[in-house]
Amino acid sequence: MKLRDFFKQWWRRVMAFTQPKEAASPAFDSPAFSDEQVKALVMGLAQTDARELSCDEVYALLDVFAERVQRGEDAATMMPLVEHHLAMCPDCREEYEALLKSMEATAAGD
Amino acid sequence: MLFSTQFDARGRGENILAMNRTDDEWIDELGGATPDGTLADLRGLLLRGLRFALASYRVTESDLEDFVQDGLLKILDNLTSYRREARFTTWAQKVCVRVALTELRRRRWRDVSLEDIIAQSEIADFTLAALTDQSPDPGEATVTKMMLATVQRLIHEELTERQRTALLAVMQGGMPLQEVAERMGMNRNALYKLLHDGRQRLKQRMGNEGLAPQELLAMFGQR
Repeated sequence: MKLRDFFKQWWRRVMAFTQPKEAASPAFDSPAFSDEQVKALVMGLAQTDARELSCDEVYALLDVFAERVQRGEDAATMMPLVEHHLAMCPDCREEYEALLKSMEATAAGD
Repeated sequence: MLFSTQFDARGRGENILAMNRTDDEWIDELGGATPDGTLADLRGLLLRGLRFALASYRVTESDLEDFVQDGLLKILDNLTSYRREARFTTWAQKVCVRVALTELRRRRWRDVSLEDIIAQSEIADFTLAALTDQSPDPGEATVTKMMLATVQRLIHEELTERQRTALLAVMQGGMPLQEVAERMGMNRNALYKLLHDGRQRLKQRMGNEGLAPQELLAMFGQR
């Protein structure tokens, strides 16, 4: 027991000595953002609108949007809120691109 | 090749002409007493589409068949939610793609926790702190660094802990919203709204401080 306590105290002294005096963002709690992440976030803010569709709303319209794109229509102008969400949401974007490819492969059989 | 006839296990061809059902025919036959033939045709179509859509993903033929099978179940369970605003086959492919990608994301991120992702970020910040001159001399900071520090402060003041955590998980680790949401006890829809609320608040606060995102981006681009 005595040896364990001695080791614990020694370890605490070592850690206190080696810890940095200040964290990267001294006034802030974690999580903190890197400079590159801050820039990416500001880019997202530049595209942020008060009215944005949710993932569910976009999912409901994704097939309509994809067909307009497939027909060569200006879907982005006709359905700007869907286009905007696809630019902001990587999950929905991935599903949209997969849907387009699926439609491309099945077009002749439809 | 797309116009060739493909044969299923019973030797019956997936006749391309038979695929040209109207939307009503699809719905009526799938909801009817003997949907087997229609189901087989739909299964063939979904499999063909998914195979091409997921060509760049690591999936086996067995995976594809499982995804299509799960997709078919979901389609049959939700036939009444088809709104006829797009073709039935497009709607069905949308359902199947969602099923497949949801499962693929789960597999890919199965062993990764939010703490893992956040810890990576903290390690990176620690390294940065260790290498940077920490003398508190404002004269040495560039305007860009000051702006970055200001935005950092605003992020801290305006976003909740949950919003910061979610943002970091998506930005730092590239974790899909679906996976972040599950670890935070919500669905993807709610997470998107949480993040949108955070972006809105931050944008408003920055506007109040006279910091327009476009101007900041122009400043960052001048480095």
